[in-house]
Amino acid sequence: MLKNEIINKLRKIVGSENVLNSKITMTTYAYDSSPFLGKPGAVVFPTTTEMIVEIIKLANKYNIPVTPRGAGTCLCGGAVGVEDAIIISLAKFNRILEINAVNRTALVEPGVVNKELQLAAEPYGLMYAPDPASQNVSTIGGNIAENAGGIRGVKYGCTKEHVLGLEVVLPSGEVITTGGLNSQVDPEIDLTYIFCGAEGTLGLVTKALLSLTPINSDTKTMTAVFATLEDAGACVSEIIAKGVIPTTMEILDNTVIKAVEDYAKLGLPKDAAALILLEVDGFPAETKAMVENIIQAFKNNNSINYKIAKDEKERQDLWKARRAVNGALGKLKPSNVVHDIVVPRDRLAVMLKKVAKIAEKYDIIIGQVAHAGDGNLHPTLYYDHRIPKEADVIEEACDEIIKETINEGGTISGEHGIGLEKLKYMPLAFSQPSLDYMKKIKESFDPENRTNPGILLP
Amino acid sequence: MNKNVILEVLMKCNRCGLCQEVCPTYRVSGNEFAVARGRNRLIRMAIEGQLEFDKEPEIEQFINECLLCKACETNCPSGVPTPELISQVREYYTSTKGLPIAKKIMYRGVFSHNKRIDLVRRLAKVYQKTGIKTLVRMTGVNNIFNKADDMLPDLPKNSVRGQLPMLLKNIHQPKYKVAYFLGCSVNNFFSSIGVATIKVLQKNSCQIIVPDVNCCGAPHNSAGDQREFKRLAIKNLKELAKLDPDAIIVDCSTCGSILKEYVGLFENEPEYQKLAKQIAEKVKDISSFLIEIGFKKEMGEIKARVTYHDPCHGVRFLNVQEAPREILKSIPGIELIEMNEADMCCGGAGSYSIFYPKLSRQILSRKINNFKKTGASILATSCPACTMQLSFGMKLHELTSPVKHPVELLAEAYDNKAK
Ligand SMILES: Cc1cc2nc3c(=O)[nH]c(=O)nc-3n(C[C@H](O)[C@H](O)[C@H](O)COP(=O)(O)OP(=O)(O)OC[C@H]3O[C@@H](n4cnc5c(N)ncnc54)[C@H](O)[C@@H]3O)c2cc1C
Ligand code: SF4
Ligand code: SF4
Repeated sequence: MLKNEIINKLRKIVGSENVLNSKITMTTYAYDSSPFLGKPGAVVFPTTTEMIVEIIKLANKYNIPVTPRGAGTCLCGGAVGVEDAIIISLAKFNRILEINAVNRTALVEPGVVNKELQLAAEPYGLMYAPDPASQNVSTIGGNIAENAGGIRGVKYGCTKEHVLGLEVVLPSGEVITTGGLNSQVDPEIDLTYIFCGAEGTLGLVTKALLSLTPINSDTKTMTAVFATLEDAGACVSEIIAKGVIPTTMEILDNTVIKAVEDYAKLGLPKDAAALILLEVDGFPAETKAMVENIIQAFKNNNSINYKIAKDEKERQDLWKARRAVNGALGKLKPSNVVHDIVVPRDRLAVMLKKVAKIAEKYDIIIGQVAHAGDGNLHPTLYYDHRIPKEADVIEEACDEIIKETINEGGTISGEHGIGLEKLKYMPLAFSQPSLDYMKKIKESFDPENRTNPGILLP
Repeated sequence: MNKNVILEVLMKCNRCGLCQEVCPTYRVSGNEFAVARGRNRLIRMAIEGQLEFDKEPEIEQFINECLLCKACETNCPSGVPTPELISQVREYYTSTKGLPIAKKIMYRGVFSHNKRIDLVRRLAKVYQKTGIKTLVRMTGVNNIFNKADDMLPDLPKNSVRGQLPMLLKNIHQPKYKVAYFLGCSVNNFFSSIGVATIKVLQKNSCQIIVPDVNCCGAPHNSAGDQREFKRLAIKNLKELAKLDPDAIIVDCSTCGSILKEYVGLFENEPEYQKLAKQIAEKVKDISSFLIEIGFKKEMGEIKARVTYHDPCHGVRFLNVQEAPREILKSIPGIELIEMNEADMCCGGAGSYSIFYPKLSRQILSRKINNFKKTGASILATSCPACTMQLSFGMKLHELTSPVKHPVELLAEAYDNKAK
């Protein structure tokens, strides 16, 4: 419990309607989308950088940890905070300050929801390229902190490729601007990227200058079904080798195909080993050539069935399978853990197989969806936490998946972050000198370890 | 549902947070305790024994602040029926504590009895016409009823039922025999909708019977008063079972959805459930029915830009989305334009606007602002509860645009042809 004195001071800073600390309201800020729970002492909703500076100074004075929070859709426990932390919710600090169609930039406050930015950019024929599946609710601040990726990531990259400059309140309470938000000319030591993916441990992003991307005039959507994972893997490699860069290239494995078919009855072959969903965009001349190349790759790699959407309705039909994944698998078991591993593209098929084997070995359900274009796999382990036989083996199965990922030359997180969840795997993924160096950086920003402590670095 | 079943259902909520996008109370407040995810979390903790329903007034408040608009459920990847869970908790509160006195007077005391609603309407009419209004206000007798008064529309002189002898005609060689479920709101507060429904149906060769039904029970249901809800349902089922129409027509989305919900209400009473199923199959929203039978297209012009607000009970409970728009588009001179968030709740939600005025008005303002952006001069919708709330919104925003049922516009277009 935070002392009344502190609560009162917080109220002075942001107004009493913007401070919560009752028992019941705190339980609704104790979670994010991960299985981890925190025990916050207060939640505050600042709406200006100055307010945040005041909050940080107050927290420093009383030695209270703070945790920034956007929409709370974090999958790794990064937004729940340690006991008695002040949660700084950016949800109401959410204006789009400028869309500059000539420079193709947007200047936004951190609480802006990704989708709101998409909607604001659209009339200018522009989009904000990073499109995490949580984009309808997750915030730009959260996206930056987790370096969120999305379905368009193969072609357009993750969040950090689209951040031009930031305003950040440091753990000391000082405010800095970086990159494109500086008036100085190059060269500078651009600190922008150190905050992308830092999970809020180095400071709070309070403003972001983002780059916008023209929306391409033509989109073509395709699906192909394969009898073996090897064929599907080889097909992905061939498409990339041909120089085609799809906007989307998703693989669904057999467990997912079966579940989706039982759930949504789309006429998918339930014995297929893999389904690839592909999308390309560009000018019509470009997409035409790309589609031809892709069909060739489908054929060369024994696709048993492929489809190309002729119109928007057919396009939506093809997307149905992908969209139904969560709902379909969620029906099977009440609890799940989703992983976010990355392997080199040419190890994708091998990795998918290894995970399927692990599912067999522990007799649990693991559904696999992968962003094939960048080797990012999301094996999701489904179980019933009330059945000891299932709950007890989950951790072991997870450990094994991570071990195999490292064996295949991969790493432990592509886009969901480390948070609390993957702390224990950090020493597997990074050498001691790398970890030491990361810690040194954290210390130089936050010597007292008050800003989002306990996550990311073991 | 018993505790275990509720818990089973709650566990499907994996806290993904996607409901933030569509939950109106979250959209206007930004608070995690005002979204399906937070509400589900609180219910789960209480059921698991980590919190106590009875000792935490805030839980009750957050549960009651839900509009039961179903937007979360429709959008939820895991299909979590949050409104159903909320209803269960409300039922628990009502069964342990009884209804709050204001709700009791309003629902059991008034809505449960046709005669009393009529009396209240007539009294209120006097009250609106005379200066008593300010007098009562000044005395501040009852805050709640004052709030209700702000929202009351200008009341019609006569209820629809009172006008039936003049309205109902014998149709020569009727093509359809339909029962018109005349709900209390349309009957008492928006009689122009009821009159239009009858005219339009008769124009389309329907022989109409208007059975002597009671309130559908929507207010009682939403307050968790299951006993009274059931009593009314049984009365209505018995009344409707006497007839054998081709369709049971509703022009109130709420009545329509509630009539269909009778099926679930009698889970453990197979006899009533069977009856409820037969009746549910016949219940048709007026717009969908007109589209189905290929309504007459001989209409005169109405020159106006119109936008359509989807009532929660229309779009998510009855799955009616296209039909009313088709009707509007078919009227010569009407330009139908979509507004943003057309299917987001207007914050009326029965008596929600009276008991949770702050949230309700924020949600309402969002709706009216979306309406303003369209430049439309008429706001169309298919539920009198929405009509009441939206008209109130127009007043608050000092707009004069009328809120109309598509069937009113259709009736007007038919009349314009005749002229
Ligand atoms: C259904 C679902 C689908 C998802 N799909 C994807 C996907 O496709 N790709 C992907 O990458 N992720 C995905 N995620 C994960 C999650 O949505 C992202 O990590 C997202 O970026 C989090 O944003 P948020 O606003 O919810 O942040 P939160 O969860 O509130 O916070 C995330 C982290 O960022 C920190 N933080 C928040 N705001 C700031 C700020 N202003 N300054 C500094 N630190 C801050 C927090 O302390 C926390 O550590 C998904 C999650 C869900 C539930
Ligand atoms: S109710 Fe549905 S959408 Fe909302 S958090 Fe739970 S699972 Fe997600
Ligand atoms: S029913 Fe409506 S108000 Fe209630 S939680 Fe769902 S979306 Fe929110």
